[in-house]
Amino acid sequence: MIPKIINVGYGAVPTVPIGGTLPLAFIGGPCAIESREHAFMMAERIGKICRKLDMLWIYKSCYDKDCRSSPDSFHGLGADRGLNVLADVRKEFGVPVVSDFSDPAWGPATGEVCDLVQVPAYLCRQTSMLRAAAQTGRPVHLKKGQFMSPWNMKNSVRKIEASGNDQVLLADRGTFMGYNMLVNDFRSFPIMMETGYPVCFDATHSIQLPTSMGNISGGQREFIPYLVRAAAACGINALFMEVHDDPQNALSDANTVLDIQYLENILGQAKAAHQMRLDLLAKYGEDNVHPEK
Amino acid sequence: MSTLKNESMLVGQIMLKPDAFPVLTARTLLKEALESMGRSNLGIACITGVEGQLLGILTDGDLRRKLLKVQKPFSAFFVDDALIHSIRTPATIQPSDTLIKGIELMEKKQIWDLPVVDSSGKLVGLLHLHPAIRAVLGMG
Repeated sequence: MIPKIINVGYGAVPTVPIGGTLPLAFIGGPCAIESREHAFMMAERIGKICRKLDMLWIYKSCYDKDCRSSPDSFHGLGADRGLNVLADVRKEFGVPVVSDFSDPAWGPATGEVCDLVQVPAYLCRQTSMLRAAAQTGRPVHLKKGQFMSPWNMKNSVRKIEASGNDQVLLADRGTFMGYNMLVNDFRSFPIMMETGYPVCFDATHSIQLPTSMGNISGGQREFIPYLVRAAAACGINALFMEVHDDPQNALSDANTVLDIQYLENILGQAKAAHQMRLDLLAKYGEDNVHPEK
Repeated sequence: MSTLKNESMLVGQIMLKPDAFPVLTARTLLKEALESMGRSNLGIACITGVEGQLLGILTDGDLRRKLLKVQKPFSAFFVDDALIHSIRTPATIQPSDTLIKGIELMEKKQIWDLPVVDSSGKLVGLLHLHPAIRAVLGMG
């Protein structure tokens, strides 16, 4: 299978190519758009770190969090206000942006602004969602459902392809192990790579303990560095992390978002581990253990 | 005295046409391929490219051997493209070849079916052993 390269970014922002042996791309930002000021401040700070590390990145923040555990949780700014903020971040900082969307009807507006459109893990096999994502014409960031096997993601990929879109990024964000607990099965990366599409590791959702705290999710963010190094060594093409300047008071995913004070450390390690894997393959050859021999 | 009645008969006269046996695309899933083979009561499926060229064949025997070697879960095995488990360079025959040649080839390779391809490698039929023997023996 020849690895496919996807290109994220339209118009004036720089294109972020993802896949193959290209450098590791970073997708990150606060889980939800909290305000214009907060979005700008985060974009400024993350951009500075990515420039320092010479990493291409995509700003991530969502305008409507439809999967919150409680009806009282912050839902987001909504499509109109939220997408306006993303459009402004895009323009001001010259960075591609991504948001998820949770209703097929929101697809066109999301695709009009976002360089990359994201399908939430819980909705990863909903045909109407996949069709709507594909029809935006933008690359699609498709997260593997916590309940899905990595090989069954091929069915979702084919639904996107059936709608005429062949720009897909497949992400692992953990798999349910019983109730309220996720684990990472890193076999998912080579398995999902068999589709030919690039793969992404969502580190901050992988350490989530879904709805473990009654009406909100918990998380064990202390494991983020370990998982990031392991995923980078496995051969991911992109790393996804939600980042916040004040996790305790984050309006969404407060127990899982990474404090921005750790971002440079972890991103730097991820970049180095990614490059080390490429160096090892160049030195020792491609992974070639045959499954039947 | 020879028992052969139709020594000059050609493959093209007896072969099954592509609508009578499983012909799959390169993106057919293994599970769909197995269903297709089951419906046709044949132990073979042919996989073709967009121009109809033969890309590979999948047989009961190949699958049997795979099942003993591939250790992945059935749910993962089923969603593989059938093509990746196929034989990519199968023995083939042309419609203008004699049935005797086809039978001899099947005997030599100990197989039951031969994909029939034209000079450009396009799949045009399938020669199944039993109809071929019936024909050369003049058994109707």
